[in-house]
Amino acid sequence: MSEVSTSPNAAPGLSERLRRAAQNGRLTATLILLPPALILFTLFVMLPLGESGVYAFYDWNGYGAPEDFVGFRNFEQMFGHSVFSVAAGNTVKIVIVSLLVQLPLALLLALLIYKKTPTNAAFRLIFFVPYIMAEVAAGLIWSFVFDGNYGVTASIANSLGIDRFFVLADRELAFYAVMVVIVWKYFGFHMMIYIAALQGVPDDQVEAAQIEGASRRQIVRHVQIPHIRPAIAVSVFFSIIGALQVFDVIIPLTNGGPSNQTHTIVTYLYEFGLTRLRIGFGSAVGVVLFIVAVLVAVFYQRIFMRRANP
Amino acid sequence: MAEVRLENVTKAFGNLTVIPDLSLTVPDKSFTVLVGPSGCGKSTLLRLIAGLEKPTSGAIRIGGDDVTRAEPSKRGISMVFQSYALYPHMSVARNIDFGLRISNVPKEERERRLNEAARILALEDYLDRKPAELSGGQRQRVAIGRSIVRNPKVFLFDEPLSNLDAALRAQMRVELAELHQSIASTMIYVTHDQVEAMTLADQIVVMNKGRIEQIGTPMDLYDKPASVFVAGFIGSPKMNLMPGKAIGRPDIPTVGIRPEDVEVTEGDGWETKARVVETLGSDTIAHVRVEDVGEMTVRLPGHIRLNDGDRLKLRADPARQHHFDADGRRMEGQTA
Repeated sequence: MSEVSTSPNAAPGLSERLRRAAQNGRLTATLILLPPALILFTLFVMLPLGESGVYAFYDWNGYGAPEDFVGFRNFEQMFGHSVFSVAAGNTVKIVIVSLLVQLPLALLLALLIYKKTPTNAAFRLIFFVPYIMAEVAAGLIWSFVFDGNYGVTASIANSLGIDRFFVLADRELAFYAVMVVIVWKYFGFHMMIYIAALQGVPDDQVEAAQIEGASRRQIVRHVQIPHIRPAIAVSVFFSIIGALQVFDVIIPLTNGGPSNQTHTIVTYLYEFGLTRLRIGFGSAVGVVLFIVAVLVAVFYQRIFMRRANP
Repeated sequence: MAEVRLENVTKAFGNLTVIPDLSLTVPDKSFTVLVGPSGCGKSTLLRLIAGLEKPTSGAIRIGGDDVTRAEPSKRGISMVFQSYALYPHMSVARNIDFGLRISNVPKEERERRLNEAARILALEDYLDRKPAELSGGQRQRVAIGRSIVRNPKVFLFDEPLSNLDAALRAQMRVELAELHQSIASTMIYVTHDQVEAMTLADQIVVMNKGRIEQIGTPMDLYDKPASVFVAGFIGSPKMNLMPGKAIGRPDIPTVGIRPEDVEVTEGDGWETKARVVETLGSDTIAHVRVEDVGEMTVRLPGHIRLNDGDRLKLRADPARQHHFDADGRRMEGQTA
């Protein structure tokens, strides 16, 4: 004899749910609104992703159909390539600098200017300008700054009476210069996330801490930062994913040079895959980058974002 | 000794003067309630005492010490906020002893004070919970506990009960009164609810537009309101205010009659018709219309049963009338 649930909370069956959705208009809305997004997402995201996964196993120059199946050779070449190691190392360095320099800087500035005053609004705008500037424009501006002949570094060298130095042409210094530009370019974005979050911290909690005798530093540590932890979690996530994708700033600054010392994974993909018409090889790099990004996203979401939003 | 004195205090925000010139003494160990309508400056005054705002001019003394420019934590005060201002990420225990921890009070002393506060406020079973897991009344008790453990000279309360429902508010009023009796500290309490003011206060300060309208005990204010404003603010239902000609005294600009000082009469009186009747059980509140006088509210004994539309003949007790001059100030020597 089968049991019949009499609980009012029992989950309705599929047909019942469909009937309800049809009645309340959800089904119609879904049928009208979902297909455009689904088709576009499939055509421009899912299909290219799937195709990259296939091309990664071919030696293909992008013309005609890929026919020369090479198995994992593209991946073997990539992992055996010294420049890929440099690019992967640089990407890790960008992640570290983003987390240890960019985000603390953004938080510090946010704490200084989160209150709504005209002066703070002006500073917010100034600090946010680099983020809204096109990456290529930012790269070009900084390439002028670092120009050893006519740039700011030339002026500094002249005023100090030392030999001119060419930061972007120096194997040791070039990537530090790139990281300076990356921090400068993106800290404003994270600062805005923190400012929005800090403005949501109730004033009376800060005032209660003041009355309790908390110093400014203690208020930040014990009241404000715990409050904005979800925003910090999101910001760290964006920072890591963004660091994995750095590309546009580097091309006008160094184009990966000197001696391939400033490549990231994406510029490596572009330089050694696309510009050399090795689409299969580039796809293999893309697949690795995609897997890393997905793993980071999934683990980060599961571990840190849940912790920040208990 | 924790008398609080404000001497010619003014406070302006830009061009807007919120408190023009105010002097006030809050006696040691008193329960003083600042009451007034929204925007009258009572919360600003409390924040000035707390040190969360600095006065534009004037001096503030607590226990004889000039604290006008002192930091909030150096004034020997604690404050309970309307929203409780509890830290959502901390347990009840850590919320309560937060101030002690950051002041590096030894652990044994911290625990002793925490347990004492938890005992007084019946929070022993909730110390490990987060604020989100507590009811409104429990949260308010945690906020009070946070004040108690600091052993302040002066407790400040900024509308602490306004987020609670009516039943809980009544319960917390009693608990606050008991707390004041048990710890005998100076307490300054801001509210716009005159019932809270009447039931809790030793001394009520009625404020209007940044100025003090009247200071006195609850019954002083009830029996002898110094102005039309106080007369209308203290007492529930509100005092009936009408021109003197309504009682045959055209020489008096404004006459005030409390709803409870009107009675039903068989003899001479106003012919009225009940517009709305509120039957409360112990009392019957009737909102009536009186010809040539206007709307009036009367509080009658609960045994008098009325219906909307009933006609009544009413008489005001001449000995319980309040007379006010053209400026709205009390005319002495003529009233109850």
